[in-house]
Amino acid sequence: MKIKLLLFCLTVLSLHSIYSQNGIISGTVNDGEFNDVLPFANILIKGTTKGTTSDFDGKYVLEVAPGIYTVTFSYLGYGTMEISQVVIEPGAEQIIDITLNQLANALDGVVVTTTISKNTEASVLNIQKNSVALLDGLSIQSIKKSGASDIASAIKSIPGVSVQGGKFVYVRGLGDRYTKSILNGVDVPGLDPDRNTLQLDIFPTNILDNIIVIKSATADQAADFTGGVVDIVTKDFPTRAEYSLSVGLGYNSTMHFNNDYLSYEGSATDALGFDNGLRDLVLPQSVETPVPAENGARARQLTQLFQPNLKALQEQSPMDFNIGFTAGNQYNLNDDGSKKIGYLASLTYRNSTEFYEGIVNGQVFRKQDQDRSVLELIDDRTQSGNLGVNNVLISGLAGVSFKGLKSKYKLNVLHIQNGESSAAYIRQDNFNVNSNVIFNDALTYTQRSITNVLLNGEHANEDGSWKVSWKLSPTLSKIYDKDFRTTPFRFNDETGNFSISPSESGEPSRIWRNLEEINIAGKLDLTRKHKLFGRDAKFKFGGAHTLKQREFIVDQFSHPVQSRQGNFSLGFGGDADQVLAPANIYSTNSREGTYVRRDSNVSDSFDSEITVSAGYLSDEFKFSDKFNAIIGLRLEKFDLLYSGENQDGEVFDNANILDKMDFFPSANFIYELNEEANKKVRASFSSTTARPSFKEASNAQIFDPVSSTFFIGNINIQPTYVNNFDLRFESYGAGTNFFAVSAFAKTFQDPIELSFIREARGQFIPLNLGDAKVFGGELEVRRSLDFIPGWQNFSFNANVSIIESQQTFTDDEAEARRDNLREGETLRDNRQLQGQSPLLLNIGFNYDNNENGWQGGLIFNVQGKTLEIVGNGDIPDVFTLPFNNLRFNLSKEFGKEKNSKISLRFENILNDKIESVYQSFGAEDQLFSSRYPGQAISLGYSYQF
Amino acid sequence: MKKLTFTKRMLSLLMVCGSLTFMACSNDDDPVIPELEVDVDFDNDNINDDIDNCPGAANADQADTDGDGIGDVCDPIDNGAAPTTGATVVVDSDISADTTWSSDSIYNLDGRIFVTDGATLTIEAGTLIKANAGSGVNASVLVITRGSKIEALGTASAPIIFTSASDNIAFGETVGTNLDQNDRGLWGGLILLGNAPSSFDGDAESAQIEGIPSDTDGDKGLYGGLDTADDSGTIQYVSIRHGGALIGQGNEINGLTLGGVGSGTTIDNVEVVGNVDDGIEFFGGSVNATNLFVWAVGDDGLDIDQAYSGTIDNAIVVQGNISDHALEIDGPEGSLAGSYTLTNVTLIGLDNNVENGEVADFRSGATGTNSNILVTGFTGVGTDLQLSDVELDNDGVAANYTAGLLTFLDWEIVLPTGVATSSEIFDDRSDIGSTFEADAANFSSAVVADAANVGADTSAFSWTYSNTKASLGF
Repeated sequence: MKIKLLLFCLTVLSLHSIYSQNGIISGTVNDGEFNDVLPFANILIKGTTKGTTSDFDGKYVLEVAPGIYTVTFSYLGYGTMEISQVVIEPGAEQIIDITLNQLANALDGVVVTTTISKNTEASVLNIQKNSVALLDGLSIQSIKKSGASDIASAIKSIPGVSVQGGKFVYVRGLGDRYTKSILNGVDVPGLDPDRNTLQLDIFPTNILDNIIVIKSATADQAADFTGGVVDIVTKDFPTRAEYSLSVGLGYNSTMHFNNDYLSYEGSATDALGFDNGLRDLVLPQSVETPVPAENGARARQLTQLFQPNLKALQEQSPMDFNIGFTAGNQYNLNDDGSKKIGYLASLTYRNSTEFYEGIVNGQVFRKQDQDRSVLELIDDRTQSGNLGVNNVLISGLAGVSFKGLKSKYKLNVLHIQNGESSAAYIRQDNFNVNSNVIFNDALTYTQRSITNVLLNGEHANEDGSWKVSWKLSPTLSKIYDKDFRTTPFRFNDETGNFSISPSESGEPSRIWRNLEEINIAGKLDLTRKHKLFGRDAKFKFGGAHTLKQREFIVDQFSHPVQSRQGNFSLGFGGDADQVLAPANIYSTNSREGTYVRRDSNVSDSFDSEITVSAGYLSDEFKFSDKFNAIIGLRLEKFDLLYSGENQDGEVFDNANILDKMDFFPSANFIYELNEEANKKVRASFSSTTARPSFKEASNAQIFDPVSSTFFIGNINIQPTYVNNFDLRFESYGAGTNFFAVSAFAKTFQDPIELSFIREARGQFIPLNLGDAKVFGGELEVRRSLDFIPGWQNFSFNANVSIIESQQTFTDDEAEARRDNLREGETLRDNRQLQGQSPLLLNIGFNYDNNENGWQGGLIFNVQGKTLEIVGNGDIPDVFTLPFNNLRFNLSKEFGKEKNSKISLRFENILNDKIESVYQSFGAEDQLFSSRYPGQAISLGYSYQF
Repeated sequence: MKKLTFTKRMLSLLMVCGSLTFMACSNDDDPVIPELEVDVDFDNDNINDDIDNCPGAANADQADTDGDGIGDVCDPIDNGAAPTTGATVVVDSDISADTTWSSDSIYNLDGRIFVTDGATLTIEAGTLIKANAGSGVNASVLVITRGSKIEALGTASAPIIFTSASDNIAFGETVGTNLDQNDRGLWGGLILLGNAPSSFDGDAESAQIEGIPSDTDGDKGLYGGLDTADDSGTIQYVSIRHGGALIGQGNEINGLTLGGVGSGTTIDNVEVVGNVDDGIEFFGGSVNATNLFVWAVGDDGLDIDQAYSGTIDNAIVVQGNISDHALEIDGPEGSLAGSYTLTNVTLIGLDNNVENGEVADFRSGATGTNSNILVTGFTGVGTDLQLSDVELDNDGVAANYTAGLLTFLDWEIVLPTGVATSSEIFDDRSDIGSTFEADAANFSSAVVADAANVGADTSAFSWTYSNTKASLGF
């Protein structure tokens, strides 16, 4: 029904594209003194009486007849700006974002005249320029230019930012533990239960206003800022009626229309990002599974309830496609336009398919134990096969805003629905601990959803000297791993037979994991403009309270095969679908066959609750005309309550396992090196924290049947405290030309790292390791190539970060490393921080011609060799190798008002592979994992009306 | 114009509604737990299986003379008067003070139980221990940690029995009727951990035992140390049945796991039947063991690793339908060396297991002596007789053979069909090669069944469940 409704919406709306006669000028007026908007500024069409004032948000809208105008922006005590050559076409909107600067000695008559900036990237640079805190921004315009369809790909063009697995953002190559993502300034839970941060590929770019990456903390930011914050800001509402429709197709030469693609039968609603119940948990916890010897009839009956398809089936893969729709408008509620109501709604559907042929994952290589003069690694397990993945993502956003002269209210509802289904057929060869060949069918389905409501109010007094902002944001996040099925067969290469051999290959198993998290964040910020040292200053104070509750439930089952005469599973012939075929389910007559056994464990499941209460004070002020500062102090109280049971039966009932109250000071300084204020030096210090995740601070012993490893929670884990130091020089040239060089250092006390347990193979535990240090430098250049005649539409941007990290070994790790040194190898006293990339490089050449509507870019990203898994004992370290990603995109706007756009994108032009390897002293690298992303072409079309 | 604007507004409203409707709908995706149909009556006696005291055979009267919860129709052994003793004692927490399990009770092992803090668990002769089902980290296991002891003092007439809670064996009995050797993995197993030296990767002093996840606040799963003569107590006349719950691939629980157990420990007369993984596995350590019987386990019969340096004297391995190697013998993992002695052993194949069952596999630098061994009942398959061979698996073990660190003496083979000489079943698979196959003509000979001169003394096993169940006539 709801699909029909949507189709109806789409069809009818696309028939009605309406053009009004007048055009619109709109935008934001910014305050050059602070990183803030300028309310109540005057906007006038020069030579006419037509004008308006900016609202308390700094926003303005002006409807004018088509023509060419000069627009004047002025505010008492501030320099006046005149923008000439503003071309207004019928029905079109011209956006002018402007920054007014305070006059040093209140002299009037200074008018700065410029032509309209062709690219609003300049205005994002303005935010950056005027912010005392160190941040980098990405405007929606530059996202569009990069041709990216989701944030994760767009964000790569910000300096010091890298993306892992296409999902998780690292700031300055720090791991996701030290990078935090927030949505509209408030915490929302992530989709991956094992991560601290949000998965970014779920946000389509068409709901974004901008993305700001903040690298130095201020007191109004949460203390678990850690190493950097990525703030995803969704759109408010447009200045006029605006509708858009976009469709896109993506083709990957190795992944699509491939007849070897693997899949399995899913539910009828898989294409809508959720399972219709087909994969629901079959046996609730209250139902016991008797062994056949106890109650054969019951065992048979329960076994029959399970979905019998366990095999990854070959079929042709489809190509990627997406469709998106947005609508927005605003309405004046009174004649002078001082009260407005507006809305924005967007709906996006994306269906993507990946197929990895010959994917290698989780191979094990070891050092020779008895003879240390042997440098080459010995293979213990090789593992490769084919993997097919289908991913469906639907996101819907609906927002309503009311804006008066002194108040603004916004209600936003965001829902993201994601379903990912995968099927794999993998061959595993074991040589050492076991010696065998295993073929494994693995079927998974993960359904994720986030529903976030944001209620936000902002209020100002008459003269704008007081501002109050409050936010209340509940989020419900659900992740269901539904019926992960693995069916391992042991292959005997001498007889050519397949059998289920529990002690060698394990048994067919299936697992359900439910994670539900409720997160309620509330925030109150007050700002008071005042005078300090005879200059304007801004005092900010406020508080925040966050409550997070997580429930995690695991249900795990195996399908043992009961044999009487010979090995019953030989009859399956290696066909996973035979395991639960009707004839092979346990029969009370023959007393043979497959049955079901519950494996789940009380200590897998837990409930946790986190509360964070915070208060802060900060002041932004000037020591002199050229020297600004923000100094602040934040106090946070953090509590983690845990309910669960450990393996010994010890029960925790809302036990307060972490109870911390800490002060977090921060100081940010900016010094202008010249009168024009286009050369600046920034320095900052802040103290932040990184807290353990729910799973880490638990007693859970979670077995992963896919990798055959254990995660062991650590109830004694402590948070990490981080001290951050930053120094940056920046120079702003004409237009968007920009140059910056930075140095930074971070010290970590009690860093948390997922570590091997030395005595126990394949078991991992989060530990507070010895202190760590990270220091590095960043260089960023954006330069128009207009100094070359005829190249005025070309620009170049590059940023590079070089980072050195040092993690001190724990005694255990040092001992394990020393015991396994090769002949001639010496042990250093530290190593790289896990997940810390030593190098990040982004280079782009862009072409942008506003007149003919052509845009294009050639973009290169690479990340240095990064320690992925810390080695242990005779297993060496695993490093992620650089993936050289060169992309090209091209787009053309056309139509009378450039309201149609076609874009084309090529990925992985260098045809690189994504690989991780074991590296050991003097030995040849050996593969840990490898996958080939193929070369993809995507074509998109969008239409605005 | 006005009409159009109206339409537009209406549609916009629809859009918002539509998005919200969608969100609302897709939020209703909580898993719907289906009502489970419990109305099943397999034997049609009008008593549903979940409450039927004998769901496999009609007994509308539910008669249960001995009151053991098993209806008389299913319970032919014990229809006498209800026993006066045999009350069930549930054991569901660690044992950290000296404790005695008396033969007057049935002990119900529920979950992973550690005997810890130097405590001694004494088990009287004839005690019956029934362990609950569960696998993975749920498995019911009895673990004797380093420094603690077990004194399991069974006798031939009153052995101590560890079995599954599903076993219908009743108080005072030594054999149940509903399970056989093919019912495996119904509980965990018995694990002894000691302080004796074991050879680990990178020469670590201790390691976490297979089948037990690490605990964050202690070292209860660790084994290994420096005390060769360490004493973990006594295991005498103990029968371990239907265990071996599986955690994952390569991570299983053996019937009897001996991790770093020292020579001060006494182990004799032990039987393991129907375990998923190995029968008895020796991870390092120096304990001596005599009179061992392993039947129909899912993996290897006797398994030696990490430079175990004790003596195994008088043992029988009988393969089952899914067994792997009768003997699987590995060497050290670190630089600590140690040689075992294996003598007076009988390895019995099973005709219907032609898939993975092999006689013996010597791997990864094994060192020890193997003497007076009888091999019988194995079937050769394929030109290499690969399913009934005795293999040197790699270069390390072949080099040890050549260097005299791994020796073979007096093997007798009851020849599989199509095999002409005893030496044919000895197979050197290494790249470097050795004189193993040629020497086999000297250290082995063919015999006919019942005429063997070597192997185990079967009279030691007359007490076993296997002897009764399989009518072996020992």
